[in-house]
Amino acid sequence: MTAPLLKVENLRIELTTRDGVAPVIDDLSFELGAGESISFVGESGCGKSMTALGIMGLLPEKIGRIAAGSILFEGEELSTASEKRMREIRGNDISMIFQEPMTSLNPVYTVGEQIAEVLRAHQNLSKSAAWSKATELLDAVRIPNAQRRVNDYPFQMSGGQRQRVMIAIALACEPKILIADEPTTALDVTVQAQIFDLLNDLKRQTGTAIIMITHDMGAVAEMAQRMIVMYAGRNAEQGPVENIIEHPRHPYSRGLISCVPHIMATLTEERHPLTEVAGIVPSLREFGKDQCLFASRCTMVSQKCLDKRPPEVAFADGQKSACWHAEAV
Amino acid sequence: MSDLNIVPTEPAPVARHPAAEAWEMFRRNHAAMVALVVLSLIILVAIFGPYIYPTDPFDMVWAPFSPPGVDGFILGTDYLGRDLMAAIIHGARVSILIGLAAALMSVFIGVTVGALAGFYRGWVEEVLMRITEFFQVLPTLLFAMVIVALFGASLPMITLAIGIVSWTAVARITRSEFLRIRELEYVTASRASGAKNAKLMFRIILPNALPPIIVQAALMVGSAILFEAGLSFLGLTDPNVVSWGQVIGSNRQYILDASYTVTIPGMAIFVTVLAISLVGDGLNDALNPKLRQR
Amino acid sequence: MKDQMQDEVLLDVQDLTVRFNVGGGGLFGEAKYLYAVDNISFQIKRGETLAIVGESGSGKTTAALAVARLVEAYKGRVDLAGTDFLTLNDEELRQARAKMQFIFQDPYSSLNPRVRAEKIVREPLDNLDAVPESERQAIVDKLFEAVGLHPEQQRLFPHQFSGGQRQRIGIARALATQPDLIICDEPVSALDVAVQAQILNLLRKLQADFGLTFLFISHDLGVVQHMCDSIAVMYMGKVVEYADRLSLFNNPLHPYTVALLSAVPSVDKERRAATKRILIPGDPPDPLALPKGCRFANRCPVAQDRCKTEQPELNEVAPGHKVACHLVDERAVSPL
Repeated sequence: MTAPLLKVENLRIELTTRDGVAPVIDDLSFELGAGESISFVGESGCGKSMTALGIMGLLPEKIGRIAAGSILFEGEELSTASEKRMREIRGNDISMIFQEPMTSLNPVYTVGEQIAEVLRAHQNLSKSAAWSKATELLDAVRIPNAQRRVNDYPFQMSGGQRQRVMIAIALACEPKILIADEPTTALDVTVQAQIFDLLNDLKRQTGTAIIMITHDMGAVAEMAQRMIVMYAGRNAEQGPVENIIEHPRHPYSRGLISCVPHIMATLTEERHPLTEVAGIVPSLREFGKDQCLFASRCTMVSQKCLDKRPPEVAFADGQKSACWHAEAV
Repeated sequence: MSDLNIVPTEPAPVARHPAAEAWEMFRRNHAAMVALVVLSLIILVAIFGPYIYPTDPFDMVWAPFSPPGVDGFILGTDYLGRDLMAAIIHGARVSILIGLAAALMSVFIGVTVGALAGFYRGWVEEVLMRITEFFQVLPTLLFAMVIVALFGASLPMITLAIGIVSWTAVARITRSEFLRIRELEYVTASRASGAKNAKLMFRIILPNALPPIIVQAALMVGSAILFEAGLSFLGLTDPNVVSWGQVIGSNRQYILDASYTVTIPGMAIFVTVLAISLVGDGLNDALNPKLRQR
Repeated sequence: MKDQMQDEVLLDVQDLTVRFNVGGGGLFGEAKYLYAVDNISFQIKRGETLAIVGESGSGKTTAALAVARLVEAYKGRVDLAGTDFLTLNDEELRQARAKMQFIFQDPYSSLNPRVRAEKIVREPLDNLDAVPESERQAIVDKLFEAVGLHPEQQRLFPHQFSGGQRQRIGIARALATQPDLIICDEPVSALDVAVQAQILNLLRKLQADFGLTFLFISHDLGVVQHMCDSIAVMYMGKVVEYADRLSLFNNPLHPYTVALLSAVPSVDKERRAATKRILIPGDPPDPLALPKGCRFANRCPVAQDRCKTEQPELNEVAPGHKVACHLVDERAVSPL
């Protein structure tokens, strides 16, 4: 493989809270190849979104900062890049869509104006060229009647349509990476299916790499080739999606998969209690301790887990698990 | 698989009353804390001042227009030679009393009207809100003057007049809070478990609607004091009782010759109202759960 | 315990209709109504769970609120163990609420922030006054234990609990009056996945222990599949398919149900290989200008002319399996 499109190494992001400084991302490394799609999975408060904001250079000002590690995008270091450079990269090379399509569009401008605005800012298109490109994009994200809908205001559209507009804006400058932060959590499942379908098609056509953040293992299975299971700011497990679902090598990934009542190919009469992952994600105060942070919820916990942070163990099939008992899982 | 869902590694939180949290929040607001101290002093003066400084504010004790600090009169004397210090101390009582009583009254009327309108909606709301609007568009000072002129300038009547013209703001706030809170699931939950309407209104919704009402009430005390001052200035007050506004009113002809006779009671009003506003402001922050989280 | 109660219909809902006035009326012109729930009927046997599933705008939550008379129904019957809820007067209704309790979706807004946990759980007992005051604390203690909370947590305020714990408090509150029926309105959709499992297991355990009957509202078909004995699928205020769990999931008949099921992403490789994803284009029709025919016709991949003009009835096509689609007959084969 040639050099990856995005290479994150030993990333550490610190957040200043009332209780002090906490590493919300703690020693995270991963690679993303061109046209590849990966997923970050985990419960809320595990640092999935923070990773995305870190890559985008959008960490909350004065509160969050990249404390160590590097983010290499096409060989360029982003963690130390100037704000001006990051502005060029955002929207142009890396763009992002968010969970809430209701609030991420400006209600006082038409969707056409908002798409054209991005095109003009990044690509110096003329007003009319930007406008016709906006119409094309709306058509590309399968909004029926794009010619007319381009003049609509966000409130005239349904949630699914608004998310499509967001995707159109994100893809306006043909970015190399699209980060989708829970893009369908607020949407109905039939609409989610449409959005997934659209993203997959666009990925095929444009070769955009996709980083999807989600809590839904089913969505990961549909959308991603590789996944990274995050827990308490750390990488719990990463590897090919199929392998992890078939044979998770971290108790947390195993818990995330089996705690959800999945619809199987054929339903039978019997129903077992769901596997529980007891307790909840630890508070930020616990982050960064030299121990396994999952230990308090883990059924396989031993003294070693409480004494020392487990290193990542690589397996032959491409899986990497940060667990002292990875072999036994 | 454990049935007990214990928050891991988190120390058991202490059961703290929301009021305790609000106080902590309030304490962090320095301006409000200073204002609270000032206000407490003013209230202490209003309560105990007349015993410590028993000079009758109506007695002509010295030559007129003796400036502050001269001849042993700290704040000087007015156009009839009455001790201004006595007027300020004795007047504090009336001013603050009227402020409190009028605010209390407008809160009582306003909360009742707003709660009924916001809870029952429909025609009840229509009727009550039209009445509220009627009172809102009345020229308040004029209306109060009419009441006082018709029914006599006694303290209860002045309080009543101020209360009647100033409850509309409370009613509107109460109504909008009720409209918001009645849709929250915990209200539906209470209804689903058989709570009666009176309980829903006054035990479930009202306590949660109180923060902005309390803030409004605090501000209302300030504006009632101002209102009373305005009426007194126009001479619409009980001539046998001294209040700050009345001191200003009776000395107003001499404002150019002896400005202190007007500015001193003016300052008293200003400081009190400012302190009340700042405390109200602090309450607003302290009682706002969104701000409390940080 | 379950055997003797089997087959007793606990809740019988007939022709339930809820409409909202959305403008007009009074002196000025004709009133406009939005029919959020349109003539739906269903039954739940004692000790069982019926799920109403649907997407946003389907009317499932409104239906649940109308069953509990937290929203007034326009017409219909809601018969709980012989009592028609919709004809009770205010005081009778208040008393009858002891028999039908509600678990809410949002554990953050469903608990009064100014009241301690113990008092929240005790409130139904205090409101209904059926149990002497001296015995109430003991009941609260038992409820806290039953839902897996510590006795010392009784003194805490809602914001001091995690989302899952708050939902446990909500469940304890719903159990307090020993209701026959508990309506669960999306009880886990606001919770993190791992916590969802804890709550779902708890609900099933309580159902087994206390012989509870659930009306379960959800948009999550995975959860529904795990929790329910029978399922009613709603679309635009109508029940389009109504069947027991195995029939519905293994042999969905209505095109909407088929599409809905196919849209659920799955970790099961076999299922992904076996299920063809059916994308339904477009958006649901405007609820204020509903089509004359089938409400799904404008998005249905197999719609025919008849579907656009004639509204399908909910017909029983196989024992216990009802579908409202012109294209499904006694052979019980999905047109898709």
